[in-house]
Amino acid sequence: MKTKKSQNIQIGFLLLPGILIFGFFTIYPIVKLFITSFFKWDFGSMFDQEFIGFANYKEVLTDSYFHLAFSNSIVYTLITVPAQMILGLLIAMLINNINKFSISYRVAYYLPVITSWVIASLVFKYVFNTEGLLNYFLTKVIHLTSGNIHWLDSRWGGMSVAMLLGTWKGIGWNMVVFLAALQTVPRDLYESAALDGAGSIAKFFYVTIPSIKGTILFALVMLTIGGFNVFTSIKMITDGNPGHKTESVLTWMYYKAFSTGEFGYSAALSFIIAVVLGILAIVQFRMMDHSKLD
Amino acid sequence: MKISKKAAYKGIIYLILTLGLIIVVLPMIYMLSTALKPNGALYEYPPRFFPKIKEITLENFQYILRQKKFGNNFINSIFVSTVTVAIAAVVAAAMAFCIARFRFLGRKFLFTFIMLTMIIPGTTLIVPQYELAVKLKVINKLSGLIPFYVAWVIPYSTFMIKGFVENIPRELDEATYIDGGSVFTVFFQIILPLTKPGIASVSIFNFLTAWEEFPWANTVINDDLKRTLPIAISGFFGQHQFTQWGYVFALSVLSLIPILVVFISCQRFFIEGLTAGSVKG
Repeated sequence: MKTKKSQNIQIGFLLLPGILIFGFFTIYPIVKLFITSFFKWDFGSMFDQEFIGFANYKEVLTDSYFHLAFSNSIVYTLITVPAQMILGLLIAMLINNINKFSISYRVAYYLPVITSWVIASLVFKYVFNTEGLLNYFLTKVIHLTSGNIHWLDSRWGGMSVAMLLGTWKGIGWNMVVFLAALQTVPRDLYESAALDGAGSIAKFFYVTIPSIKGTILFALVMLTIGGFNVFTSIKMITDGNPGHKTESVLTWMYYKAFSTGEFGYSAALSFIIAVVLGILAIVQFRMMDHSKLD
Repeated sequence: MKISKKAAYKGIIYLILTLGLIIVVLPMIYMLSTALKPNGALYEYPPRFFPKIKEITLENFQYILRQKKFGNNFINSIFVSTVTVAIAAVVAAAMAFCIARFRFLGRKFLFTFIMLTMIIPGTTLIVPQYELAVKLKVINKLSGLIPFYVAWVIPYSTFMIKGFVENIPRELDEATYIDGGSVFTVFFQIILPLTKPGIASVSIFNFLTAWEEFPWANTVINDDLKRTLPIAISGFFGQHQFTQWGYVFALSVLSLIPILVVFISCQRFFIEGLTAGSVKG
């Protein structure tokens, strides 16, 4: 009995630091965020917070700037997620077919992943500058356009640069994850498919894809979360300009909190994003469980 | 005949991989080449991808290295990242061990919450966390970064290490208990040594996270000398009338070096850790 008790105390000791840090710096802010979202709280009412029910949520959901930011985040996710997955899978399949230099290719394709967002964003901002290298190349070298294109001065121009960066930075991660999955596909599956007269394309759709379905869904969940997480690149490249047309949900939330001081609004917005992502993740995890049963 | 067809096939694969690679590393090369150009040349027209051999210069790097504040920023980044990694490794391993091995009150609740917070983008919590940092009086201090980073990486770390703990046979634990060992003995003498590869791979990931973190550090730290590297790099904007791109990219290149060293020397762990979560399903 005594040993059981001392065992419990030791378990408590091991758990305590983690629970304290996690509880204090993550759980408490989540609860606080939820509460804040129901109060009128901004620079003007710092010490006089008034309970206003769902008014913040209503304000967010009817705000056309939020609609714009939300649709930007959706488009960003819808484009960068499949783009990264397709290119990552393609490169993984190519690398899976070679022996020499396979490690070197892997390391090199992974470099953008370990380059920090701040640095990568600045490189892209510099290249896509109106007086930058790309415009020079397009106008003076290959004469595709007559004048410089103002990449960063329009909604879709700015978003395209951010999406290009997101895809560029994500390919390496997908490559590594898919390469590991491809190596678990049994060789004899391909051999028996070949005996049945299947060509490369048939093998891809009837052997490869079903065999790595679990990994595809895993990547889908992680990348969807990542897509809605886009912040640093947009902050660095366009900072939401021109006229808040290139905000993502998180840069817009940040702007509302730290530039206009509407904490209640940004809390409600944060909670909406958390709920949307929660629902998306549950749906995708369900798909994952489902695919395991097949 | 058949062999040459196969060789041609391989050749095409290498060709596509190399072309793709050139496109992928192009921005990195441009960053390096800009850092090696004389600062004045950056505003000259036409822009060039490579500097002329005779104009290659280290003046941007020399400028960065001469400024004492960037040395500070570098040390700050090293300090914050290492301390975050060390605390997170021990704390997450302990949690992972308990969740994997014991049934205790609230175990399921704890694990569900850990999984749930992996879904929520960290930046959504920035307002209540900022409020908390103000209350704790850690604004403009490195101690305002570390506990938040640790809390941030705990869910992923715990989740990953738990998988590694579950792969260790329970018989090892039981043998230790029979020999009179305690929970601590099992944790320190069995679990920690055997989950080392898992902890290593998680730690590399955590190091990268802390090293490149931008939104939180940018919100909490204002003081030039207290900044971490990403904030120092972004600090070039708005500070001067026009941006000194040569300095920006020289500092960027320097800040990439530790990451490259960690990544290349620990590549094996890195790939192992990344794939552990994905292939199981």
